[in-house]
Amino acid sequence: MKKVLINNKFITWLFLLPTILFLALTAFIPLLYSLWLSFFNLKINMPYLTPRFVGLTNYVRMFGDEIFVRSTINTVIFAVTSVLFEITLGVILAMMISGESKRERVIRAVLMVPMIMAPVAAGTMWRMLLDSSTGVVNYLGVLVGLPKIGWLGNPILAFVSVIIVNVWQVVPWTAIVVISGLKGIPQDIIHSALVDGASPWRIFWKIVLPQIKPILVVVFLIRFIDAFKVFDTIYVMTGGGPGMATEMLPNYIFNQGLNYFDASYAAALAISFIVVMSLISSLFINAKSRKEAKNI
Amino acid sequence: MQRIRKLAREIEISNIFGDFLTKPVRYILLALCLILIIFPFYWLFSCSIKLKQDFLAFPPVFVPVRITLEHFKAIFENQNIILNFYNSLVIALVTTVISVLVGSMAAYAVCKGELSNRIRNICAFWFLIQKMYPAIATAIPIYLVMRNLHLIDTKTALIIMNTSFNLPLVIWLMIGFFNEVPVSLEESAMLDGCNLWQRFFKLILPITKPGLIAAGILTFVATWNEFLFAVILSVRQAKTLPVVIAGFITDRGLEWGQMAAASAIIIVPVIILVWLAQKDFVNGLMMGAVKE
Repeated sequence: MKKVLINNKFITWLFLLPTILFLALTAFIPLLYSLWLSFFNLKINMPYLTPRFVGLTNYVRMFGDEIFVRSTINTVIFAVTSVLFEITLGVILAMMISGESKRERVIRAVLMVPMIMAPVAAGTMWRMLLDSSTGVVNYLGVLVGLPKIGWLGNPILAFVSVIIVNVWQVVPWTAIVVISGLKGIPQDIIHSALVDGASPWRIFWKIVLPQIKPILVVVFLIRFIDAFKVFDTIYVMTGGGPGMATEMLPNYIFNQGLNYFDASYAAALAISFIVVMSLISSLFINAKSRKEAKNI
Repeated sequence: MQRIRKLAREIEISNIFGDFLTKPVRYILLALCLILIIFPFYWLFSCSIKLKQDFLAFPPVFVPVRITLEHFKAIFENQNIILNFYNSLVIALVTTVISVLVGSMAAYAVCKGELSNRIRNICAFWFLIQKMYPAIATAIPIYLVMRNLHLIDTKTALIIMNTSFNLPLVIWLMIGFFNEVPVSLEESAMLDGCNLWQRFFKLILPITKPGLIAAGILTFVATWNEFLFAVILSVRQAKTLPVVIAGFITDRGLEWGQMAAASAIIIVPVIILVWLAQKDFVNGLMMGAVKE
């Protein structure tokens, strides 16, 4: 028996080791390298210069950097707005297609297509649809008497457009996850509510919503973190423009590091990006657990 | 009996909304959703076979009468799209195999291995954090390291990075599936003298096959679509399809037709894949979101 135990312990570590090594080498150590870089001065296009220690210069520079401030604000607004729309529309959609009839199953299958599509392809596709001279969206606008609009040329509309594309891609996912939550609601509750003569609205607000709330919170967190990492859509749709209107943090970091070759500044930006992101997520998690504590 | 009850429950829930939206409103909303989803794809595919002059037509040409394959021909000739397709496929397949194998082993070790609770929790927490952290944060260091290792523009580099992104996802998904395996099953195998290794490969893997398939599909799709590191680490030889599509915008003006054709090429394989394994895919999505 003792031998089996030692044996199993060895196998356990054998199973874990590849993953630990892999993640350490490709994620954890690079992250530390990023941190180290952010205190030095290194240009990617001049690899033979020895990096010079510059202390907090890179971090100080950020506060005077208008584009950094702007892209941080943009990213937060983008993430919050998209996620709110994604959840609201996702719940509505889920309520409509949660059944098991053939029609609803077919609809669910169709829904899957936007969410498995490469964000790069979705971005280009919508760029075609929104194009000011050849786009279909403008044609529909003209039909109802609107002037032709340069969607991606106007700061506010460009921002709205990238949100629309993000929401379009993600709502199906939210809907499918919410459906799994709806199926977990014990039917007796709804039954007895119906027997008591409660209106559907009341059932929705008083029974369905509280029941799926835990799932909605998880969806919110996952999507919020994902929306914060938005890169592909912006890259192909607006490139951060017009002006700085749709500049988001990931794109800004990418540009600083790989287009302007300022590896150290990009690293400092990346580190602050992580800090901002974890701060906001932990705020949410905190608020959530405090609420739960209150409920108990 | 249970089936009837299940049926009744599902009817109830989907009817609540039908009730207070009234049927016509519900149908209109659903139709609108479907149009919003299907029409863009229709437009994309129709653009890929449309004549160049039809793009500027007003009103737009909704049903292309004159069909051409010139855009597909162009991307096959100028873009070397076959190489890019091959790159995407190899990178996605190899990443999927490695991630699912290595990830499910780690997940099993975390679930059922001989670990102290402390180490178990540390591992689980680390893998969860890893799932959330932004890839862009390591982009610069990875680029520098890969350059020093002379791995820029190789498929190896992209396979390594994609595996790194997908491992945590596979682990979390598989933990969910492994936890659902009845304890009694493992106990009886233990009594028969099977060690961890034998139990994993002979007993657990075969019965969690749906989970493995779900994890595999999610990994494949994510890798197939991955763009950030593909654009950073590839120059010519290792370019994947997403990089090519983005390239139409940045360096050669706007070639609508070719762009549509390339987008069609990138979408079709994943649609087929997900369609074939729809049930497992949906299952995976739900597990991934709910079991955290």
